[in-house]
Amino acid sequence: MIKEIKLPEIADNVTTATVLEVLVSEGDKVGADDMLAEMESDKASFELPSEVDGVVKEVKVKAGDEVKVGQVMFTIDTEGGDAGEKEEKSSGEKEEPAAKEEKKETSEKDEAKVAEDKKQADREPEKEQEPQASKKEEVSSAPASDKPASHVPASPAVRRLAREIGIDITQVKGSGPSARVTEEDVKAFAKSVIQGKPSVSSGMVDDFELPDFSKYGEIRREKMDTIRKITAKSMAGSWQNVPHVFQFDKTDVTELEKFRKDYSKLVEKQGGKLTVTAILLKLSALGLRKFPKFNASVDMKNEEIIYKDYVNIGVAVDTERGLIVPVIRDADKKSITELSVELGDIAERARTKKIKPDELQGANFTISNLGGIGGTNFTPIVNRPTVAILGVSRSQMEPIWMDGEFKPRLMLPLSLSYDHRLIDGADGARFLRWLCEAMQNPLVTMF
Amino acid sequence: MAKKQVIVLGAGPGGYAAAFQAANLDLDVTLIDPKPDPGGVCLFHGCIPTKALLHLAAVKDESEKAADWGLTFSGVKVDIDKVRQWKQSVVKQLTGGLGQLAKARKVEYLQGWATLTGKNSLEFSPVKGEKKQIEFENLIIATGATPSGLPGVDFNDDVWNAELALELKEVPKRLLVVGAGYIGLEMSVIYKSLGSDITIAEFTSDILPGLDQDLRDVFKKERKDLMQNTLFNTKVTGVTKKGKKLEVELETKDGKKKESFDKILVAIGGRPNSRNIGLEEVGVELDDKGFVNVDLVRRTSVQNIYAIGDVAGQPMLAHKASHEGRVAAEHIAGHKTAFEPKAIPAVVFTDPEIAWTGLTEGEAKEQGKKVEVAKFPWAASGRAVTLGLKNGLTKLIIDPENDRILGAGFVGKEAGAMVAEATLAIEMAAVARDLELTIHPHPTLSETIMEAAEVYFGHATHIHKKKKK
Repeated sequence: MIKEIKLPEIADNVTTATVLEVLVSEGDKVGADDMLAEMESDKASFELPSEVDGVVKEVKVKAGDEVKVGQVMFTIDTEGGDAGEKEEKSSGEKEEPAAKEEKKETSEKDEAKVAEDKKQADREPEKEQEPQASKKEEVSSAPASDKPASHVPASPAVRRLAREIGIDITQVKGSGPSARVTEEDVKAFAKSVIQGKPSVSSGMVDDFELPDFSKYGEIRREKMDTIRKITAKSMAGSWQNVPHVFQFDKTDVTELEKFRKDYSKLVEKQGGKLTVTAILLKLSALGLRKFPKFNASVDMKNEEIIYKDYVNIGVAVDTERGLIVPVIRDADKKSITELSVELGDIAERARTKKIKPDELQGANFTISNLGGIGGTNFTPIVNRPTVAILGVSRSQMEPIWMDGEFKPRLMLPLSLSYDHRLIDGADGARFLRWLCEAMQNPLVTMF
Repeated sequence: MAKKQVIVLGAGPGGYAAAFQAANLDLDVTLIDPKPDPGGVCLFHGCIPTKALLHLAAVKDESEKAADWGLTFSGVKVDIDKVRQWKQSVVKQLTGGLGQLAKARKVEYLQGWATLTGKNSLEFSPVKGEKKQIEFENLIIATGATPSGLPGVDFNDDVWNAELALELKEVPKRLLVVGAGYIGLEMSVIYKSLGSDITIAEFTSDILPGLDQDLRDVFKKERKDLMQNTLFNTKVTGVTKKGKKLEVELETKDGKKKESFDKILVAIGGRPNSRNIGLEEVGVELDDKGFVNVDLVRRTSVQNIYAIGDVAGQPMLAHKASHEGRVAAEHIAGHKTAFEPKAIPAVVFTDPEIAWTGLTEGEAKEQGKKVEVAKFPWAASGRAVTLGLKNGLTKLIIDPENDRILGAGFVGKEAGAMVAEATLAIEMAAVARDLELTIHPHPTLSETIMEAAEVYFGHATHIHKKKKK
């Protein structure tokens, strides 16, 4: 039997993933737990298992391909796998070079198709002036969506127009009755793509006209990887839509630092590392409970505020591949020890690409601690749909006027960026002050 | 020798449409076919000659019905020689016209056969003259299909396929038509009208497999004369020549029986002409039924070889082939194109005509898709009554979620003409409201489309029904 291995549902709102590496080739024997490919989706990497025992019959993807959920990536012959068949195959190849050649051609075609699907929308509009021979290769033989274009409520002329100007009509939102797509809709969509304002996605494309840098010296161009692309789009989207306010404060962590050192052994025994971030996680979680606006989201379409009865906090992790933000769930209900253990584990998995996509979703608030690197303060950008983010910089000994004299105290600079659509300045100052006080005297959390 | 830019193999309605479109797009085109002019099965012994004869049958049947309305003709006679001449003149006029259109477009027309010898070369065997190798950049396979025969029974003067039946050599007294598909039914109507006593033997349990039952029922009610001699669930298991007659063994549920006929017409579908022309040898993949596998632009597994029409898969219909031919030609010319119809209409040109397009009720059920069906029986159509039509039906298959027209079916006079409006509606993504709000001319049968849409909303002018929406 031939089993098709498709890209599974990864998480909500994740519709595609990129192939980082194909780990098998056609003819390889695989077991049910063997990994077929390394994948990357929105900020997460994961491996695609074979699910069945058998022999890899077809590899339909290659590194760099963007794959849709449900798309067939491999076929596995579950009855094959005996030496006889393998031998037969190789001798067959020897006898029929033509057949082999043609097979290659077919797979090239598939590749072309996949690549086409991926790039059709953004690439084709510029390709009008190419010579005919190569132009033909650019012609897509499949619409970019699983659904054929004929399913879209649009007339044949409109469907043809979309194909000609390189627009995937399944992406165009129709303005007519029953969402019928008109010629104007297609043109407007094309215009928005060119101008970098896709009407369906929140991603922004910078239409800044770049100068010819090579005039000034050697340059090299590199493709952005998935994480870079997503970070670029979502940050630009946040920056353009969220009216940011930045609040700065400092907290005396002299006592907290003593406490941290005293209790670090205890936490170590449980397999975690007691860090300032772990403590901030706990205190922020309690703060979010106390200040529910910071644990909310803004729904401007319906002009509503969405309050959440759970407290999930994202923690920014610096990895080789860039910024990844795993989410700690129900942080308010966990002990500092539990949070320390979980944080260590999830950060490590984020760095080693073992994190699951759903572990990167559902945060209500974010903590970004750059203290390990340094700096006196910074202004992190609020990541929609959350409404606030806490920036942590490096603590420093400072002379603090106490009891009639200057005393050396360890001061931790904190910054809070928040969404002014929901949170006013006084709220922001109160929240951050509360957090600073809680760091100095955790008893305030009991009130 | 210079490579030909485009060769089209087969000059049926798919092949010549492809060749003409390629020529329109400034490509150099060579069209290869054994016939002296383009046309293929459709024009030489398919769509066109049958329609000429069906027109004749309709005139005759109508003249007989006219007695009920007070108009009696006498001395209606069939002169088979004259009928044959007329049919031939129709074919000649149309195929000759295509020949001239080919010349006008500077399409090179080579009369003969071809076999592929490589991915860019074929061996051409002309009707007259020496075989030669021709090289090409692009090839469009449009070789069509061949009618299937009964197992172990060759086509001959007694056992006909549609082509032989259309030669009109004689009008047999008793004709057995095997297959109640569209060719079987059309041929039955023609020969019935010419004077034959028709028996139809159909392997399945009903006429026109796949068609919605309500449409079939209207036809069966209207053509009791044909239906009373139709054997369903019946297989022809043997044919023996006994003197001038044919003894046919028929296997039904109740067992085997033998009957005597003068001629047999076999119309049980066709198989693609994909073998013995070197396709598989150069790497063109076929499916298990022998159809050439093609993608959205009708390209085969070999990049510069395309396949269109009957050889590239169901439905085996001329208009589907023509559309595919144009798509393939456009793709070769570098255009961004695709074969992606929302609906392919089908018409059975019997009296009454049966036509349908898009999704059928049966298909909706198979796909588990919820649909609403709005029917308008022609008894409520003024135009139908003035035409003396008692039965007739227009139905729309509608998506209840967004009121989009997904399919339509018609049975009755001019069904084949009306299905075009429904197909356009489907392609334009029209909703029921669009059809309802479009003024249709009165009194015409086309009003039944508008009124079926009204029925969907529960308030048709000429049918009173409880309010629904």
